[in-house]
Amino acid sequence: MRGLGSVVVGSGAGRHLHALAGAYALDALDGAERTRFERHLRRCQACEAEVRGFAATAAALAMATAVEPPPGLKARVLAAAEVTRQAPPAVAVRRRAAPAIRRSPWVPRLALAVGAGGIAAAVALGVIQASTQHRLDSALAYSKEIASVLAAPDARITAARTSVGGTTIAVVSHDQRQLVFTSTGLPPLPSSQVYQLWLLGPGTARSAGLLPPASGGKTPPVLASGVRVDDKVGVTVEPAGGTSSPTTTPIVVMTLPV
Amino acid sequence: MGPIRSAAEPAASGDADLDKLLTMVARGDRDAFETVYDRLAGPVYGLIRKVLRDPSQSEEVAQEVLLEVWRTASRFDPGRGSAATWALTIAHRRAIDRVRSETAAATREQRSASAPVEVDEVAESVEATMEAERVRRCLDGLSELQRESITLAYYGGYSYPQVAALLDTALGTIKTRIRDGLARLRDCLGVSW
Repeated sequence: MRGLGSVVVGSGAGRHLHALAGAYALDALDGAERTRFERHLRRCQACEAEVRGFAATAAALAMATAVEPPPGLKARVLAAAEVTRQAPPAVAVRRRAAPAIRRSPWVPRLALAVGAGGIAAAVALGVIQASTQHRLDSALAYSKEIASVLAAPDARITAARTSVGGTTIAVVSHDQRQLVFTSTGLPPLPSSQVYQLWLLGPGTARSAGLLPPASGGKTPPVLASGVRVDDKVGVTVEPAGGTSSPTTTPIVVMTLPV
Repeated sequence: MGPIRSAAEPAASGDADLDKLLTMVARGDRDAFETVYDRLAGPVYGLIRKVLRDPSQSEEVAQEVLLEVWRTASRFDPGRGSAATWALTIAHRRAIDRVRSETAAATREQRSASAPVEVDEVAESVEATMEAERVRRCLDGLSELQRESITLAYYGGYSYPQVAALLDTALGTIKTRIRDGLARLRDCLGVSW
């Protein structure tokens, strides 16, 4: 399909909607209009083909903006991928109803993707390391809370490199005032020391617990509650057992995405 | 797998490659993901940077997008477009989501006054690679209103009613200029889809 002449358009509302194909492909439609157009798109093959061509055209505009990405980005992305479970392929029968690209943030889908069985999620995240039934039960309750943060509609992810190496990752839900913290590649500590997690507000530091020992280089996810919007998350090295306030310079301080 | 290409290299020749790499990523192939990163991080970051301007916000969003590529690689359907288009569509949408979020609203307001300048800046920075040169030539082939509407919407992150207000032009006119301009760009670039 080339040019506009060959496009088969309906009459009335359909024609009006069809004219939005360009604006839609550039993400220049707002809320209600976008929803209406997407509904129209599912029924209009000519529109779908046109949008596909426009999307490829927009991608060419994007390629033209390429610049050298910041130096730390690659290491953080690869480290975050290392601890991020991938979504399963969509095997829905109604394929057309499930567009390949959706607008919602990925984190909620992380939890949705691992599905109804929280156990699969917990195992994938390395939460369950207990062997006795009792510890398994509490680990499961804990993993449910973690899954709930990951499933929160407002969940956002951030990651940072620490000053001693390794990457820390936090998924925060401000609605739930909770965050899930994990890390990869932190150097192991002698038994006399621990990594301690902090919620750093303006002029205050609240302990969010000690990081459990890493397994396979990854810290099992830690849940922190009572998160405030202006909190940052920091990690310090402290004497075994932890302290009530930080005694060393944080190896990392992360600003939480809003 | 061949040698890793620079991110600025035009995608056209390697489209099929990238599609194949992404299906490998969907199966958890970390090496393939690293190559995909090398190919896409430049345009992903560049595009987000173009829209958001702020480097640290852009880096944050680029990171989310690239992780999203890893996470949802299995949802990529080669029948619906190339891998680069798929990833860059995600990148643009995430940048736009950020622009339209409440926190960004205030700074956007301040910026809108200087929007016409941004058009020139965009055109100025479209350079360096062959792909960029091609895009620039094709953009030059549009009418001024088509070009301004498209660059304000895509690079500027404005909705088409905002574009209409900025260019002091009727909504319906902007709507058709964007569509006609994109059709011309598409044909000029020889985009396959």
